[in-house]
Amino acid sequence: MTDLAVPAAEPGAPARLAVLSVRQLMWRKFRRNRLAFIGMWVLIVMYLMAAFAGFLAPYGARETHAQFARTAPNGLHFFDETGAFHAIPFVYGLKVGMDPETFLQSTVRVEADKYPLRLFPVGEPYHLFGLIPAERRLFGVEGPGKIFLFGTDTRGRDLFSRVLYGAQVSLTVGLVGVILSLVLGISIGLVTGYYGGWMDSIVQRVIEMIQSFPQIPLWLALAALIPPTWSSAQVYFAISIVLSILTWGALARQVRAMVLSLKTSDFVRAALYSNASTTRIMFRHLLPSTLSHVLVIATLAIPAMILGETALSFLGLGIKSPLTSWGLLLNEAQSVQVIVETPWLLIPVIFVVLTIISFNFVGDGLRDAADPFAR
Amino acid sequence: MWIFLARRIMVLIPTLIMIMIVGFVIMQLPTADFVDQYIMREASRGNTGVADQEAMLRLQFGLDQPMTVQFLHWAGGFLTGDFGISFADKREVSDIIMDRLPATLAIAFMAFVLSWGIGIPLGVYSATHQYQAGDVALTALAFVGIGLPDFLLALIFLVVAFYATGDVLMGLSSPDYVGQPMSWGKAVDFMSYAWLSVTAVAFTGMAFIMRVTRNNMLEELGKPYVMTLRAKGLPERVVIWRHVFRNAVHPLIMLLGQVLSFLVNGFAITSIVLNLPTIQSTYLQATLSQDTYLAGAILVLIALTVMLGNLISDILLAWIDPRVRYD
Repeated sequence: MTDLAVPAAEPGAPARLAVLSVRQLMWRKFRRNRLAFIGMWVLIVMYLMAAFAGFLAPYGARETHAQFARTAPNGLHFFDETGAFHAIPFVYGLKVGMDPETFLQSTVRVEADKYPLRLFPVGEPYHLFGLIPAERRLFGVEGPGKIFLFGTDTRGRDLFSRVLYGAQVSLTVGLVGVILSLVLGISIGLVTGYYGGWMDSIVQRVIEMIQSFPQIPLWLALAALIPPTWSSAQVYFAISIVLSILTWGALARQVRAMVLSLKTSDFVRAALYSNASTTRIMFRHLLPSTLSHVLVIATLAIPAMILGETALSFLGLGIKSPLTSWGLLLNEAQSVQVIVETPWLLIPVIFVVLTIISFNFVGDGLRDAADPFAR
Repeated sequence: MWIFLARRIMVLIPTLIMIMIVGFVIMQLPTADFVDQYIMREASRGNTGVADQEAMLRLQFGLDQPMTVQFLHWAGGFLTGDFGISFADKREVSDIIMDRLPATLAIAFMAFVLSWGIGIPLGVYSATHQYQAGDVALTALAFVGIGLPDFLLALIFLVVAFYATGDVLMGLSSPDYVGQPMSWGKAVDFMSYAWLSVTAVAFTGMAFIMRVTRNNMLEELGKPYVMTLRAKGLPERVVIWRHVFRNAVHPLIMLLGQVLSFLVNGFAITSIVLNLPTIQSTYLQATLSQDTYLAGAILVLIALTVMLGNLISDILLAWIDPRVRYD
C-alpha cells in the first residue's frame, strides 16, 4: 500500500506536508469517530479496574460480613444529618435490627456513629496480578465501620468488590474465546484458501453446517456437559471453549476469502519467485494483509461472547464459585421478589451494558478505520 | 432458480443429520445417563427400592443398547414421524412439542411483527431526522437494546410491571385459565400477560432492525439520485418511501433469516426467566436431565427453523431485487 501525503491539520501554520503511514491514517480515522474513541476509553478503564481489582476493592472476594447480609448501599457522605460539612467523607455505622412489621432481619443506619474514609488502609491480604503479595487497599473505613458502595448480597459480601473481581472473569472469558477462535480460524482459513482443492470444499461445507447450528441451544447443551467436579479454573476454560466453538467458522471464511483474492497479487508472486517458503508466504505476506479485517470481526465477536457467559452464569451453567463473574452475581437476582427487596443486586447489569456497547462502538470504529482510504 | 432451490434443500438434509448426530452425542457424553440420575434422585429421597428397577428402566427406554443402535433407532423414527418418548414425562416427544408449539409460535410471531413493524419506521424516522433530538434519543435506546441482554430486560420489565400492577406477570396466562378451553376471556387474559414477554423478546430485535434501517437509509440518502428526485420537485414523502426506502430495504431482507433465527434462538433464556411454556424452556430442562430424545428433537426443530429462515430470505431477496442472480 502507498503512503499518502496530506497537509498537516494546523490552520494558520505555514503549509507543511506530512507523510502519514497507513497506521497513522487508521489511527486518525479511528479518533475522528467519537463514539469509538469514548468506547475505547471506557474499555481501558474497565480492564484497568479488573487488573487492579484487589487494590481497588475495599474487601476480599470471599470476605463475608454475615451479620450485614442484604444491606442497602452504604456510601460516602460529605454532609451529615445536621447539614454540617465534613472535609473527609464518612460512612454511617450500621446496626442489625429487626423490621417491626415483617420480623425480617434488617440493617439500620446509626447516625451517631461516623467512620471517616481512610486511604490505603491495610485489608485482607491479596495478590496483585495474582503474583505480588500485598495488603494495602485503595480505600476503606476504620474499625467496625463498613463501606458497602453497592450494598451486600445474601451472604453479606460487598457487591462493589465482587463486581471488580467479577470483571476479571467477565472481561477475559470473551477474550480467551476470541483468541481461541482466531488461532483456529486464521490457520484453517490460510491453509484452505492457499491450497484450495477438495480439502477446501470439505472444510467449507463443514463451516456452513456449523454456522447453521442454533447458537444458544448449543451453548446450553455444551455448558451442561461440564462435569460438576471440575475446578473453577477448568470450568473457566471450558466456558471459553464453548463460546468460541461457533465463531471460528466465520473467521476462517473471512481469511479464506481474502487469501483467495491476494494469492494472485504481485507481492505474493514476487515472494514465490524469490523462493520464499510456503510458511513464509503465509505468515509474512498473506497473514498481515488479512489481519486488520480479521481483528474487526474478532472485536465484534467479543460482546456476543460476554453476553453468552453472562447468560450461562445467570442460569447457573457457567462460571462457578470461588471464581465470580457478572453473570454469576446476577444469578442471585433471579426473581421479582428478590429484586424488589434488594434492587441493588442489579447493579452489575450497568457494567455488562457499558462493556457490550463499548465493544460495539470500538468494533464499528475499527471497521471504518481498517480501510483508511475509503471516501 | 429451481436448481438453486433444489441444491439448497439437498445441503439442508446432511446438515440436519449432522445436527442430529452432534445433538445426540452431546447428550450421551456424560457418564451418568438419565436412569442413573433418576435413581440417584430417588435414593436421595430415601426411595432405595428403585435401584432394583435399574435394568428394567434401561430396557424400557432402550438405554441398554449401544449408542449407535440407539441413534439409528431414534433417527429412523424421524422418517415415520416418531420422535421417541420423553424419559421424564413418559409421553411421546411429539405430544410435548405440540403442547408447547402454539405458545412458542404465537410469541415468536408477535415479537417478529412488533420488532419489524416498529423498528423500520423508527429507523426511517431516525435517518430522516439525523442528529436531531428524536434521532439521538432513539439511538440511545437502540444501544441500550443491543447492550442489555434480553433476559435481564425481561426481568426489569417484570419488576416494573410488578410495581405498576402488583402482579407478577410470569408465564402466559393467569392461573385461573390454565387448562381451560379457549374462550374470549382466555384470549384477553393471554394478551394481558403476553405483552410483557413479547415486548421483552422483541426489544433487542427492534433495536437491531432500527440501527440497520437507519444506516441503510443514510447511505441511500447520500446518493446523487436523491438530489435529482428532490430537484424534480417530488414531495418528500414520495422521495423517502417510494425511492429511498425501496433501495434501503434490500439488506434488511437478507437480515430476515438472521432475525428469525434470533427470535427462535434468542428468547431461549428469556423464556426460562419468564417461565414461558415454550419449547425453549423445555429444551433446557430436557438438556439438564439428559432427556435425550426430547432435547434432540427440539434441537433439530430449532435448527430447521434457522435454516428455513435463511432459505426464505434468499428467495425473497431474489424476488424483490431482480439484480440478484443465482448461478
